[in-house]
Amino acid sequence: MSDSASAMRHLLGYARRHWREFLAVVGLVMVYVLTQVMQPWLVKIVIDQDLIVRHPHFRSILVIGLIYLGVTVVGLFANFTQNRKLQWIGQRIVRDIRNDLFTHIESLSVRFFDTHETGRLITNVASDTNQVSQFFTSFLLSLIQDGMSIILIMGAMLLLNWKIALLSFLVIPVIVAISAVFRKKLRENYRFTRSQYSRLIGYTAENLGGMRITQIFNQEKKQFDQHTALNRRFTDGNISEYKWSVRFNRTFNALGNLSVALMMWVGGMAVLHRTIEVGVLYAFITYIQQFFNPINSLTQNWNTLQTSMISAERIGGVLLTEAEITDAPAPVEVPLGPSGIEIEGEVAFNQVSFGYSPDAVVLEDINFRVKPRMFVGFVGETGAGKSTLMSLLTRFYDVRKGSITVDGIDVRSLRQSDLHRIMAIVQQDVNLFSGTVRDNIRMFREEIREETVQEAAHVAGADEFIRQLPGGYDAWIRAKGANLSLGQRQLLAFARALALQPKILILDEATASLDSATEMALQAGLTRIAAGRTTLVIAHRLSTVRHADMIYVMDHGRIVERGNHEELLALNGQYARMVSKAAPTELVERSF
Amino acid sequence: MVAAINFSVAVWGEVMDPTSIVRSFIAKNQWKYLLGVLAIGTAEFFQVRIPHILGRFIDRLKLGGSTEHAILSFALELAIVAAGYVLAFGLGQTRIGQLGRTWEFEMRQALFAHWETLSSWYFQQHSVGDLLNHSLNDVTAVRQALSMGLNQISQAIFLFIATLFMTMKTIDWRLTLFSLVPILFIPVVIAIIRPQVRLRSRLVQESLSDMSERAEESFQAIRLIKASSNEPVEVDRFTRRTETIVERQMSLVRMNTLFQALVPLLSGIGFTVGLVYGGWLVVHHRISLGGFVAFTVYLSMLVQPLMQFGVVINLFQNASASLLRLQRLLAVTPDIRDPEHPLERPHWEGTLTAQHLTFRYPNAKHNALSEVSFIVPEGTTLGIVGRTGAGKTTLLNLMLRDYDPPPGALAIDGVDIRGIRVSELRHLVAYVPQDGFLFSTTIGNNIAFSRPTVVPQAVKEAAQQSRIWETIRDLPQGMDTDIGERGVMLSGGQRQRTAIARALIKSDAKILILDDSLSAVDTLTESEILEVLRTVRGKKTVIIAAHRLSALRDTDQIIVLDKGSITQVGTHESLIQQTGIYRDLYRIQAGGDSLHA
Repeated sequence: MSDSASAMRHLLGYARRHWREFLAVVGLVMVYVLTQVMQPWLVKIVIDQDLIVRHPHFRSILVIGLIYLGVTVVGLFANFTQNRKLQWIGQRIVRDIRNDLFTHIESLSVRFFDTHETGRLITNVASDTNQVSQFFTSFLLSLIQDGMSIILIMGAMLLLNWKIALLSFLVIPVIVAISAVFRKKLRENYRFTRSQYSRLIGYTAENLGGMRITQIFNQEKKQFDQHTALNRRFTDGNISEYKWSVRFNRTFNALGNLSVALMMWVGGMAVLHRTIEVGVLYAFITYIQQFFNPINSLTQNWNTLQTSMISAERIGGVLLTEAEITDAPAPVEVPLGPSGIEIEGEVAFNQVSFGYSPDAVVLEDINFRVKPRMFVGFVGETGAGKSTLMSLLTRFYDVRKGSITVDGIDVRSLRQSDLHRIMAIVQQDVNLFSGTVRDNIRMFREEIREETVQEAAHVAGADEFIRQLPGGYDAWIRAKGANLSLGQRQLLAFARALALQPKILILDEATASLDSATEMALQAGLTRIAAGRTTLVIAHRLSTVRHADMIYVMDHGRIVERGNHEELLALNGQYARMVSKAAPTELVERSF
Repeated sequence: MVAAINFSVAVWGEVMDPTSIVRSFIAKNQWKYLLGVLAIGTAEFFQVRIPHILGRFIDRLKLGGSTEHAILSFALELAIVAAGYVLAFGLGQTRIGQLGRTWEFEMRQALFAHWETLSSWYFQQHSVGDLLNHSLNDVTAVRQALSMGLNQISQAIFLFIATLFMTMKTIDWRLTLFSLVPILFIPVVIAIIRPQVRLRSRLVQESLSDMSERAEESFQAIRLIKASSNEPVEVDRFTRRTETIVERQMSLVRMNTLFQALVPLLSGIGFTVGLVYGGWLVVHHRISLGGFVAFTVYLSMLVQPLMQFGVVINLFQNASASLLRLQRLLAVTPDIRDPEHPLERPHWEGTLTAQHLTFRYPNAKHNALSEVSFIVPEGTTLGIVGRTGAGKTTLLNLMLRDYDPPPGALAIDGVDIRGIRVSELRHLVAYVPQDGFLFSTTIGNNIAFSRPTVVPQAVKEAAQQSRIWETIRDLPQGMDTDIGERGVMLSGGQRQRTAIARALIKSDAKILILDDSLSAVDTLTESEILEVLRTVRGKKTVIIAAHRLSALRDTDQIIVLDKGSITQVGTHESLIQQTGIYRDLYRIQAGGDSLHA
């Protein structure tokens, strides 16, 4: 609880800047509650002063009637204004928390994303923030409004007749106890039903996606039976939840009527003994029923408080996580020339060791130097550490031992934004963004000019298909990229890397998901793309790096062979073995 | 004659018209419904007695002729009447609500059973999300109308009539009429504003899911974003979404607050009329003080049914739109059906023949396959090669009767596959899909998918054959490890190997079909699995489509598809001697010659 309390305190900061508005809301709530309590009182006046007397007079009834209408209108207007104001505050609080949370998450290091599911993070941003705002818009409001209602009703009753009032207050603990008990039951039922429902829906969704497999394997009956079991459990839960809510509402009903009966008895006796007037009895009967709503609402909002606290804790947990990779306090300044950053593009790994966890070793004693504008390839089995090399170069992680330099400058002493301006990476999975083709190429950066975008697309070989899309560069792309083929998506990724005009280009298994024919079409583009910059390629197919200036063969986190294609073949080591295995038959050399 | 499934009939019988489903459900449960509605009617009869008792009580008190005993009996009468109301209403409400949820259960059953009869074509035309909406929204909307709607409408009707009757008969009809005028606007206000609220809240939902998608996109592309220092741009894009949300939320709030103010305002006006006019009537001795008090209570009771009328109108509107959608869904007839007189055979050999197979997808401009002919004798292997879109998958899917091939075009042991019962055909064939689709259950259940009762040893053997056994052994709960939604716990290659095990466990199958099922498996494991397949080949006919030619090294014959036609036939050795697609592909894969030329 102390965790969530401190998290909540942190988030309270977002509310503090609206304190004046909150004050206005409290004032308006008070007006509203006051008018609500005044209404029965006015009827009481009508009864006792005008109706019950021997010679009733209509004029004062009319006056009080108009006062009643006026009070109602004022109260509703206050409530209306309060409601809008409070929601407006609440919405701005959620927005601010959401923006800050998103900004913070974006600033965190890759390792954070390795250990946190995307789905979880989206929940933090989308629903936890909403829950927290409920604390301000729902819980605080209820606390003020309902609390004040109860106090004012109690006050009014005490003013009317303190003895009967004290007796009436006996129902309060009963209401609290009953709603607390039912709330608990309702919450349990609600949770159970929700979880059963999401299981049922999840099962349905999955089976709709895999219906073909079910049918091909003749398993319709089995899958249907499982659906029946899940559906049955959900329905049972649903019915039980419904029954509990009916029980709850009707018990409240019964309790309300019982307290009216009680009041008839007690108040009736008092009227009989001339202690109170009939109008006072009327007011008591009305007031005792007015207890129910605020108390019910308070217990309901107690749940809101609990969920808000849990959400606050989750958000706080993320906000308090600090970025693992940070800029050096005094970063090395990179000279900016007329054509961008003045960097040659020499990359060197000096005795680099690394592991994702302290006891695991992924890379060990890696040493190499890539001269500017060279084209080098990295090959090796899955898990040899090729991609990790690139993650270190881009500073997704920091090396454990040794150093990585660009033009002799340690990557850790560069500002991250400068380092990333020097290099661009193309990965196997192409991430597309919902937006136009143009925006996908320039990554929504308005400062990248149209000529640069089109030039990049042209060099990457993407220009042709883009122009055939409806709308060309303005064609809309869905994030999942359903309307583009794998090859097209990959070309787009190449264009994107080029639009950033990097000095160092990293291709991390960039062509792995393509079929051979598409890859062949891409090969020509690759040459153009690599021209004039340092290019590091992690290859899925050996053909991609066959003509590289240098090929590094990796195995279990070490570089085991280095040289160009011919040298490595002559070595007759691991590279040669890989070449022969990848070929469709052993006839490789003969057939060429 | 619906293919494979007839147990759906057990749920619904002939389901072709869901409005009749609702009607037939009500007819089936007519006594329960009658009981429910009657209980609610009784409840309202009790409820309208309450103000009456109060009024009489006040009158007795005012006249001064009351005794302690009389007061107590008034209180007891009210308590008893109230108890009757609560019990009867609770009973009716529970009954109807429960029936509605039972309907929901049966509807979900019917939907699922119906979906199971529909073919791949249907699932390609409809996204899972759209279909799920039926399950999520339409079923729920109808259920709400059936339970909440029916509850509220019966309560509202009984209560409205009973209240009118009581006020007119026991108090004063003019008073009732005048006070009622403002309150009658309540259902109008609700019927107008509620759709607006609904529309605006849908816009809010849309902007919320837009934001979530935005966040998802961004978090998934985090490496790309970091590598290009694009965080500020992303934050800017995200901020624009949150601004939209605030705007839309406020537009919803404006409508909601208006609604929340208008209804009490109208009832407040009605109450004022009652107060003033009722007071005037008391002053002129037309009604008693007790009648006046009772009337104020009746007035507050009238507000509720009038609000409910508005709500129920909307509920029924939504439900009728949903019913229409459900009707359309259930009216879809399965397009893959069993033959009228299926051919029964005790034993199959597994020779597969294609004869002048030409196929075009519905609504497509070009043939997906044209004039494809080949024979795969039992126990031999066929490899299929071609570029993406050449027709490989289409050909395999026709063998599985995912779609219907033309009559006589595809045959097993000389029997047209359209003449075999669909379940029989699929019993004959074992299949490994391209994407390695798995269900979110344990890995053991996934392998034993088609044979849930098989002994663990058989599951283990299949796993060993497909080279997934070592992975399973290292999993925390071994075979009983849950592999998450669609198998997210596993890598692409592991999923494919699990899918191969799932096919291999169908030991009775005569034909094994692999649709590029080794693409994510590394070359070493691939050759091991191919070796295993070679040992089962003696018993099975194997069809392998592949991009990677290494997977086809030892097939008995290879066909090369290009734009739906067979361009080359031969073995690996003969094909690399010919100019053509095969040799082109082979050259790229053996070590390209285009880079840095």
